[in-house]
Amino acid sequence: MQSNKKFMMMIVGVIAVVIFWIGWVSSNPADEKAMATFVSVEQLIDDNIDQRTKLGGLVKDGSIVISETNYLDCTFILKEGQNELAVKYDRTRPDLFTDGAEVIVTGQYINGTFYADELQTKCASRYEGDLRDENAYNLTEIDT
Amino acid sequence: MTPIAGGAALSLAFGFSVLTVVSLILYTRSGDQRLFWVGQRLSLAISFFVFMATFILTYQLMISNFDIDYVARYTSLETPTMYKISALWAGQSGSLLFWLFILSIFATITVIQNQNKHHGLMPWVIITLAVTQMFFLVLTNFVTNPFMPTDADFVVANGNGLNPLLQNVTMAIHPPTLYLGYVGFSVPFAFAFSALMNKDTSSLWIQSIRRWTLVAWLFLSMGIILGGWWAYQELGWGGYWAWDPVENASFMPWLTATAFVHSIIIQEKKDMLRVWNMVLIILTFTLCIFGTFLTRSGVMSSVHSFTASSLGPIFLSFVFVIMIVSFGLMYLRKDDLRSPRKMESFTSRESGFLFNNMVFVVMCFAVFWGTLFPVFSEAVRGTKITVGPPFFNQINIPIGLILLALTGIGPLLAWRKTSKESLIRNFTFPIMGGLIGAAIFLFLGYKGYVVISFSLCVFVTATILTEFARGVKARTNKFNESIVLALGRMVSKNRSRYGGYIVHLGIVLMFVGFTGHAFDKEKEFSLMVGESDHVAGYEFELTNMSEAERANHYAWISELRVTDHLGQFVTHLKPEKRVYFHKNPDVNRRQPHSELDIYSTMNKDIYSIFSAVDNENGIAFIKIMVNPLVRWVWIGGYILVFGTMIAMWPRKDS
Repeated sequence: MQSNKKFMMMIVGVIAVVIFWIGWVSSNPADEKAMATFVSVEQLIDDNIDQRTKLGGLVKDGSIVISETNYLDCTFILKEGQNELAVKYDRTRPDLFTDGAEVIVTGQYINGTFYADELQTKCASRYEGDLRDENAYNLTEIDT
Repeated sequence: MTPIAGGAALSLAFGFSVLTVVSLILYTRSGDQRLFWVGQRLSLAISFFVFMATFILTYQLMISNFDIDYVARYTSLETPTMYKISALWAGQSGSLLFWLFILSIFATITVIQNQNKHHGLMPWVIITLAVTQMFFLVLTNFVTNPFMPTDADFVVANGNGLNPLLQNVTMAIHPPTLYLGYVGFSVPFAFAFSALMNKDTSSLWIQSIRRWTLVAWLFLSMGIILGGWWAYQELGWGGYWAWDPVENASFMPWLTATAFVHSIIIQEKKDMLRVWNMVLIILTFTLCIFGTFLTRSGVMSSVHSFTASSLGPIFLSFVFVIMIVSFGLMYLRKDDLRSPRKMESFTSRESGFLFNNMVFVVMCFAVFWGTLFPVFSEAVRGTKITVGPPFFNQINIPIGLILLALTGIGPLLAWRKTSKESLIRNFTFPIMGGLIGAAIFLFLGYKGYVVISFSLCVFVTATILTEFARGVKARTNKFNESIVLALGRMVSKNRSRYGGYIVHLGIVLMFVGFTGHAFDKEKEFSLMVGESDHVAGYEFELTNMSEAERANHYAWISELRVTDHLGQFVTHLKPEKRVYFHKNPDVNRRQPHSELDIYSTMNKDIYSIFSAVDNENGIAFIKIMVNPLVRWVWIGGYILVFGTMIAMWPRKDS
């Protein structure tokens, strides 16, 4: 019986250590890129949030400007409803990054510009169409 | 006509699943053997009609019947036949039918295999499997039916086509492999549940599911590794693991299943840890369903997930029902679950197993925590905080290293209690090896986790070698056999043990590969023909750029000449930028894709991506990554598969 008690204490001890560890990492992540808060464009601009954030929206038509000196540098306008945000991004752009694409950017908002270091494009609906969205079909119409 | 037959087959299967459950529950009440006989046959009928539905859908995909929504959505006339078939698991409703199909194969095997065995366990085993089938039949019949007709008021001449990313051999086999793993755990779970119902949780049920568990574990492991391999070869971000919610969804059941694979040994040999084994198999099965849920519900945004659908609540309810019923039943059976024996000492193999188990479960919890962190943080603080790979790495690296250490320590401990003398005898050589390794790695200038990881790899390899050497020596002394013969006979006589050690060796090699990640280098740059740039001591010169029109895509091909820091030629890399459906008049329906090129050696991989092309100015955007030791991850994977096969290979006498 004695030994069983010792085992139970050991198990409880291990669990306590791990919970502490997970809690500690959750509140003090070593890498500043470990966490990002999901916010809306409106929230970001209104509250002038300077932490690392993640935003979703559409690329405004015709807003993509690629630098003439460094082809990796680009700026574009992210639209979320009525709100617009200038985004700067200087890494490889994903295949599906075009006008009107749905994107998620991660980065920091400094003096009115959002400096993104991650840019993900949402998989285009043409493959995983919403079941109610008839436009999801890529169909050739034949007169009926 | 046939699409209707498909729908009808699914409806019939659903009807039979209800009948199976009813007749077998009546049998457990009345004990009338005829009811058992009937229930068994009915359960085979469920599977029969599921097979029929699956074959009909596959056939419709092959003949491109675009009157079916699913066929129009995921294939086109141009899709190669092989990928027309693999489109069966490309979309939501098809993949749920596919889940059901595999479950039905397993259920059929289980029923036939045990026709004259385990008469006490079988009724509840069949009921559990039939209820699981019923759940997926509800989904495929009423929520997302793969035979739904195309909803268009015109004749559909051609379908969408399969995403080019999915047109890859690995991608065609990765989901089925993973599914075989996910679904495979239904059988051990069914036996566990049945054992609980029968109030007999001794080692009988464990013996009947040992091989099933290993088969499911093997497929789950292979599915995960293939997924990583595909991501590395195809997705073009240079890694094989991103802690994406869906990857985590497959990793969590793998962790609990791995714990289970270990702890059933204890119950088999010592009849201990009954409660623990029950908990592990329930968790594993639940996590398999939960994994399917994460993939299919769109709750988490991920490369894998399908668009948000009504499936979420249904899946979650099923998960909760399984947990409440199973854990509730465990509570009712708590007296029976009390193991007759107790732990005797910390330095025993039993306790080693127990600790390894705890660490696996703890790691699973850590992954779970990170995966659902956005959900938790939104509930608690009102803001949705997502966590990325650095978070998972920070939490899991130390836990993973503890597991690695235990891989080495566990096998050297004796059952019940290890004496001080044998501790010293067993551990001297491996610990010396690890320490010498550490000294060398420190001397070479490595730091922190890298040194710990590499030294532990040396330590664990040393313990495995010691175990093999000791066994072979004992045999050569006793039977006067040659070393090769002794090795062969030793492994053959104790397959699960030595197969397990080989799996451990595979894991060690994978850790070597993981550790290499600490030295990854990457750089993005743009080049015109004749220009060059440097990454990690290599020079990359763009020697040529060409274009080609091929059957289903248009390609820009860049040619990079790679030389090392001494100016020596290393290799040519030819990453491509492709546009699929390039003839589509609607520009937005064309699909760009970067086909990468990798130069792989034992030491490092040079990974090149042609990410974009500027046609007007003739500029190529290139991303280069130099990833050390990646190949060891795949080699470790092969060894893991080999070891598991040895462990589960049936003996002639059984």
